Amino acid sequence: MFNVSKDFAPPFKLITPFFISGVVFYILSMLSALFYSAGFDFRELSVAGWVHLFLIGYVMMIIFGAMAQLVPVVLETGHFSIDWYYLIFPLLLIGTVLLVAGFWLNPILLSFGGILVLSSMIIFAVDVFLTIKKTSLNSLTVKAVKVSNIFLLIGILSGFLMALTLSGFMGVDIEEILKAHVFAVVGGYVLITIMGISLILLPMFGLAHGFNERAINLAFKFMIYSVALVFAGVFLKADIIKLVGYFLSFVSIVFYLYQIFLIYQKRVRREMDIWYKSMIFGYISLFVSLLLGFLYILSGGGANNFLYSSMWLLFVGFFAFLINGHLYKIVPFLVWFHRFSPLVGKRKVPMLNEMYPKKMAEFEFWFSFAGAVLSTLGLLVSNDELFRGGVYLLFMGALFLGFSLKWMLEFRSENE
Amino acid sequence: MSKLTKEQVYDAIKTVIDPEVGFNVVDMGLIYDVEIDDENNVHVKMTLSTRGCPLHQMMQQWVKEAVEKLPGVGEVTVEIVWDPPWNITMASEEVKKALGANLFK
Repeated sequence: MFNVSKDFAPPFKLITPFFISGVVFYILSMLSALFYSAGFDFRELSVAGWVHLFLIGYVMMIIFGAMAQLVPVVLETGHFSIDWYYLIFPLLLIGTVLLVAGFWLNPILLSFGGILVLSSMIIFAVDVFLTIKKTSLNSLTVKAVKVSNIFLLIGILSGFLMALTLSGFMGVDIEEILKAHVFAVVGGYVLITIMGISLILLPMFGLAHGFNERAINLAFKFMIYSVALVFAGVFLKADIIKLVGYFLSFVSIVFYLYQIFLIYQKRVRREMDIWYKSMIFGYISLFVSLLLGFLYILSGGGANNFLYSSMWLLFVGFFAFLINGHLYKIVPFLVWFHRFSPLVGKRKVPMLNEMYPKKMAEFEFWFSFAGAVLSTLGLLVSNDELFRGGVYLLFMGALFLGFSLKWMLEFRSENE
Repeated sequence: MSKLTKEQVYDAIKTVIDPEVGFNVVDMGLIYDVEIDDENNVHVKMTLSTRGCPLHQMMQQWVKEAVEKLPGVGEVTVEIVWDPPWNITMASEEVKKALGANLFK
């Protein structure tokens, strides 16, 4: 018999800074996106700055905070050292600020920001590996956590090589390394982590049982092959290997989407709450992003509007809705666990679904939904007004997310 | 000392609510069995809706504390089992209806 004891649960004060900073970085990402036009080039340093603000400041920051809570749940054992998260947070926070400032203001800061981000991720990965050593479990989620962290380190190291080059300390082929870096971080870390964690969270919140897991196993394998082949293609300078790698990432996502459909079919909890709506839009975004990416490949790599709209929708449609939707589940749980679980049996305690602001969450969803659709269309047809109008709505949605987070963190029951 | 009945134990456990779904653990079908010996020692066999439930140990503790409140109860033990795995057919009709479960899908 295993126990995910209360002792394994990280302290509230340790996790909340990750979520607060992550949401602040999300708001800043949407605000700064207002200063871009639909005709940007992904090789511009300022675009790289925005991508890192979004992916490290928002996506990674929230994933790290969530993993502090979820690693014990997934691995059924306590962290090797939960106290390391007190070091991971400031390193990641300052590293992100310096890295983004490096891209936007002065490239010399890239190396300093890079070394701090690299350090925080090494500490994070070492804790995960040492925690995995404590468990005898070998589920797909455990494998996903293991593999994704290896890709994270490879991805960050490749990024650090580019940072050193941009700062003038080294000389690597940035355009080629960039492909390996993007695949290792986005495919190898973020997507594999999402695959592994969604296999726990979606059935847990949707009360789905008895579904076949073959599709997610295939998705997991194909994504590993994909990242490995893109890396091999980059270092061997073999375009055909890279192309096979790109293709396998599409196959992987198709299997992953099929797995999500199987879980969706088996769920018994059918409330249309904010979490559920966010998941639906998030997965539709992933599907559309996949189609747009496929069209880009079919265009022979010439139609950048397909590539940009695909990646943009992956970020603001899939990642953002998946993460924000889960915040309405995870944050109330953390607050409940911290503030109300000691009172169970002594007095009436609130239910989790009473602990998020329904109206504000709806505003967040609808503004973000309209914003994601319009801005993606803007990129697709290269229309500045449409793109900026969409980003403005995304920014409004992000502000509502910020208000919702504040509301959830300050939640007190009427008995207090 | 009066002998405890299963009904009394189930009624006590009904005060334990799963904060995520908002139903008590008995109506959720999470309580598989209750054994009461001659000394009123109670052994509860229960499961959870998800193996990775972060409230695992707390739920176990809440059930134990709820039963311990019964007058004349002896030692209370709560065992978590995973076989058979929980599914929605084990829940009460009220829970199924409230969750919107469609069992024909």
